Amino acid sequence: MRLLAAEILKIRRRWATYVLESLLLGLMLLVFVLVGIGPRPSGVFGSPFAFPQVYGVVNQFVFGLGSLLAVAFAGAIGGADFTWGVLRVVVARGESRARYILTKAAAIGLFVCGGVVIAFVAGILLTYLLGAMQGSDAGNPITGQSGRDLTRSLALGLPVILERAAIGFAVAVVLRSQIAGIVAGIVLQIGEGIVSLIIIAVTFASRFDPTNPEAAPNLGPIGPEWFQYLPFSIGESVLAEAPQVTQGASDFVLNPVPLTTALIVTFAYLAAALALSALRVERAEITS
Amino acid sequence: MDGLAIATRGLVKRYGAQPALQGLDMNVPTGAVYGFLGPNGAGKTTLMRILVGLLRPDAGEVRLLGEPFHRGDRRRLFGVGSLIEQPAFYPYLSGRDNLRVFAAAGPYTPTTRIDEVLEYVGLRDRARSKVKTYSLGMKQRLGIAVALVSDPQLLLLDEPGNGLDPAGIVAMRELLRFLTAQGKTVLVSSHILPEVQQLADVVGIVDRGRLVREGPLERLLGESAHVRIRVDADEVARVIELLAPRGTELEPPMAGDPSHRWLVVRVTSDHAAAVNQRLAEQGVFVSGLETKSDLEALFLSLTTTLPTGGRVGPPWAEPSAGGRI
Repeated sequence: MRLLAAEILKIRRRWATYVLESLLLGLMLLVFVLVGIGPRPSGVFGSPFAFPQVYGVVNQFVFGLGSLLAVAFAGAIGGADFTWGVLRVVVARGESRARYILTKAAAIGLFVCGGVVIAFVAGILLTYLLGAMQGSDAGNPITGQSGRDLTRSLALGLPVILERAAIGFAVAVVLRSQIAGIVAGIVLQIGEGIVSLIIIAVTFASRFDPTNPEAAPNLGPIGPEWFQYLPFSIGESVLAEAPQVTQGASDFVLNPVPLTTALIVTFAYLAAALALSALRVERAEITS
Repeated sequence: MDGLAIATRGLVKRYGAQPALQGLDMNVPTGAVYGFLGPNGAGKTTLMRILVGLLRPDAGEVRLLGEPFHRGDRRRLFGVGSLIEQPAFYPYLSGRDNLRVFAAAGPYTPTTRIDEVLEYVGLRDRARSKVKTYSLGMKQRLGIAVALVSDPQLLLLDEPGNGLDPAGIVAMRELLRFLTAQGKTVLVSSHILPEVQQLADVVGIVDRGRLVREGPLERLLGESAHVRIRVDADEVARVIELLAPRGTELEPPMAGDPSHRWLVVRVTSDHAAAVNQRLAEQGVFVSGLETKSDLEALFLSLTTTLPTGGRVGPPWAEPSAGGRI
């Protein structure tokens, strides 16, 4: 507990903690205000700002942009000990390397969860505010169907964000660098999305028969495909089960990995990222 | 190896093909200040990193506080405080908060101890300031405070005088003396030889990964003494002729002294009279004779200028022969 309290103190005193949370909240506020005062979109997908679907926007913001920020945050905090050379002081004091790094990960996890919950609650408040401004029925976000949906979203979203943050943390620890953790974590997350889109595009392109242009191609969704099991992609299958409104293109062309499997794989990645971090620090020769 | 706070046997460490330690044997007596000296790249910091489990030796044995130590025996380090290389801190935390977070790692440390060590190192007034506002000397003091915070039995300090002003160096010396008076052992690695000479009870000199000399400071200084003789310029050649064939190490006189010349004769101070007598018997009368002993001379002779590996007595004047030539 002493170690956890110390890690919490370290994170609590860092500007990055507040800057990233403020960034998430600020962008969320900006989007809500801009969309709230702008024209109502409509069409096949319906209006994302009709109630209670508007809560899906909260999900998308918190678990989309939020997971990127969580990766950056975990990378920044996880790699800081290497940047400042303080790991050698801790190890020289006889602290268990694995325990130290796992406690640090736990503290980061606590802050990530706290940040997500704050952003989530702020999103609901903004939604309510927007509903009041528009004179719409915002539903009951605590006891009604909306409340159940929101709780389910949070319950499914938190493991995904934690897993992604753990990967950012592991990259920073393995490469012993704050910057590497932030950059590599974000690049991996975005890179996986790009790879997925390319594979989807190639798959659908192959369904067209150039020798028979009149034949109707099979436009049904594909999958689950192997790339949906990649570390950052697996979370999409979990989040697909959370109530959402504005769906990305991949949601229409990909069958998600079944929820139970997706959750098991998500937790496996989370555990593997933490184990890799602990193993790396345990075996490291600390020369600086 | 009873009575030793640190003992190493045959310690070997390589960085790739580059040897850092080549069979280092070291004995640090309990309750002493041990001055650990060596030129840059001699292996001092590598040894200290091994002693606190940051590095794993390729071969050899380490005993800390009387017990065998391997990198996994982290609890053995509960009795060890260290400042290795430059001190490392969280710059955005205050000095006190840095101590708090480091004290949370390793052995249990009561909170009251934090104020105590801040007082020891003279940082109590600046304890609430962020470390990024500290001067180099203040960071060094805080590094010493981190080393002391668990009240360890053994202190390993790498260049503890770095960045300290003269008053700070005196205060540090007094602090280390205070600690050894309480029975603690201090290993100090330093390049400031006069500082070590004032501080250390025992000295070890390492060169190219091997311990080339170790022992009580007084004994080593006695062995390292050399004699400077001043003779007339005309007599220099004759003195060299009389002493050199017998294997005595001579340093040629410095240029630019037109009338008299100083020659350095590498013998222990107890041979000074014998050198004088030998020259007088051959009709050479010196106009000046000094014996000098300092750590710097010993250090330089062992690590750079003495290819014979540390011989200090002339073959023609063994002390056991009553000092006669």
